[in-house]
Parts: sequence; C-alpha cells; structure tokens
Amino acid sequence: MRPGLGLMLVAGVAASCVFMSGCGSIGAAAGAAAGVSTGVVTSNPAIGFGVGIAVQAATDEAVQRLMKRLHSDQQIAIATTAGDIPIGDTKPWSVKHTLPVENGHGDVRVLREFSSALATCREFAFSVADGDKPDAHHDWFLAQACKGNNSSGWKWASAEPAVERWGNLQ
Amino acid sequence: MQKLIHRRPPNAVALATLLIGALACSTLSGCNSLYSEGATAGAGIAGAAIAGSVTRNAAVATGIGLGAVAAARAGVQYSQRVMHTYTQDRIAGAAGPLAVGAVATWAAVHSVPIEPDEKGRVTVSRTISTGTLDCKEIVFSVDTDATKDQPADSGFYVASICRDGQTWKWASAEPATPRWGALQ
Repeated sequence: MRPGLGLMLVAGVAASCVFMSGCGSIGAAAGAAAGVSTGVVTSNPAIGFGVGIAVQAATDEAVQRLMKRLHSDQQIAIATTAGDIPIGDTKPWSVKHTLPVENGHGDVRVLREFSSALATCREFAFSVADGDKPDAHHDWFLAQACKGNNSSGWKWASAEPAVERWGNLQ
Repeated sequence: MQKLIHRRPPNAVALATLLIGALACSTLSGCNSLYSEGATAGAGIAGAAIAGSVTRNAAVATGIGLGAVAAARAGVQYSQRVMHTYTQDRIAGAAGPLAVGAVATWAAVHSVPIEPDEKGRVTVSRTISTGTLDCKEIVFSVDTDATKDQPADSGFYVASICRDGQTWKWASAEPATPRWGALQ
C-alpha cells in the first residue's frame, strides 16, 4: 500500500467533515490512516498500532479543543444577549461559523436576576431552533450567566454537574 | 522466553512514551489531557508491543492493544472522577454552613497534579428549599493569581448544593442530552 493513501484518507475524512456536522470520529480515522501508512515502513504490527494510537490521541485532542472553542462561541453569544436585555424580555441569538458545525439560532428570555456578594447573575431560558424555517421547532433550556461585581461582561456560569451524574459524559 | 526478551525495541518505545508523559506530568500542574491521552496511548502501544512479542498475527496484536487502551481509559476516567469529586466536596463543604450573603473561601489542593490546584470564594445566593430537603443555590469564583504574563482573573459560576446527612453535596444535574455537544 502506498504511503500516500493514508494521507488521502485523512484528507478525504477532513473534507467530508466540512459537509457533515459532527466529526467526532476524525481522530479514529486519522489514527487508522497513520497505522496503515506505518505498515509500509515496518512489518511489525505493534509499531504500526502504536503510531496509529498516538496519532489518534493527538488528533482527538485537537478536534476536541476546536469543538470546545466553537461551542464557546454559542455560549458567549447567548450569555451576552441575556446580559443586554431587561428582565422578562426576549431577544434572538444566532451563531454562524464558516464551518457548518456548532451553528445555531433561537431566542433568549431573561427570567430573573440575583445579586450576591461575588457577582450579579441572571437565570435565563434559551431556545435552539431546529432548522432555518420560520416555523421551526424550538427546544428550550435553562442556564445561568454571571457578571463579576468588579468586572464587565456576562459569561456563561452554569457549573458542571455532580460527578455522580456525569454518566458517559466524560 | 528467550525470544520474548530478545524483541525489546517496541517495548522500549512504549516505556519511553509513558516515561515522557509521566515526566511532563510531574513538572506541569494540571495536565489532565496529557495524562489521559498519554496514559491511553502508552497503554495501547505497550499492549500491542506485548502482543507483538507473543503473536505475529496483526489482528490479534491490534485486539490486545485496543483492550489495553480501553482498560487504561477506564482507569484514567476513574481517577479524574475521584479528583473532581474532591473539588466539588471542598466547595460544597465551604458553602454549606453559610447564611445567604455570607462569603467563605475554598481551596482544593491535590497531591497528584492530575487536576490543577484551585481556589476561590463562595457565597450562598438563595435557599432553594428547607425542611426535609435542604438545598442552596451558590455562586462561587475560581480565582487565578496574577503572574508576570497575565493579571489576576476570576471566573464566576452558579451551582446547587443539597445536604446529605451532615455533609453538603454538589447537586447540579447534568445538561440536557441535546446540549452535550462536544462534552462527550
């Protein structure tokens, strides 16, 4: 098998990722491609597997970091919208990336504001529209955003779930 | 047995990978991703290397390697959960006795640097319920000290805690499954 084939496989997967949303398996594909191309250099399956696993781990890490950054764009957009409007009001939010992943739009409605010794926080409901049509179905969720008493800028503030409730989130 | 000892190079590679990972971990604090990726990748390489010395069949070697990866990943996740439970217990424990509006400090110092040591302040913003089920809404900060490169910074977060006997436990539930996104 030619070494170029592995590279082509990676490029193909990356290209298909652009057209489909959700490319969580890109790491496995990159790992498999690296394992295949290593087989050209060595006949020892252990070394080939080792290289494949290492490439998969590195790729998974990079993909995860990218997806996290793209998702934080949504949180920033929603939290900023929730901070801007008066309590009880509703305003639309939307995020549009160049890549067709982690995009979305919907409404934000501020439910209440509560001040504490550390920060001012707001509880809000936000919706995510299923599609671009005007009559698209909206899923509603609750979350919190906070603004430090000495700082400006609203940031997403919902803390992580209790470890017992992580399930297979990890 | 002699043949096994003779085939050393793959094992040496695996060992080196693990050692580099461990070394980097001891010098850096909070190397969660490196820890998980390094340990699982290392286990896969080591597993496949061991298998490679037992069998010449690539499929069997790959199978043993994948098994080692799965086992290592489960072990890594377990240790991360233990560490994070400790952090949540520290914050909930500091917030539990507080009245609404009172502020306390919290700190989580780990003996093994899988998670970064964290500290901050915590306050109770409201009482959610009292009586048979005591629950509070807390606002806590994670404070980062100023360094040469960046000024001091605080992140603020909201969580819920409930009393379980004498101890206060973290009570925030998981996000809705459509909102898991890149979490999984």
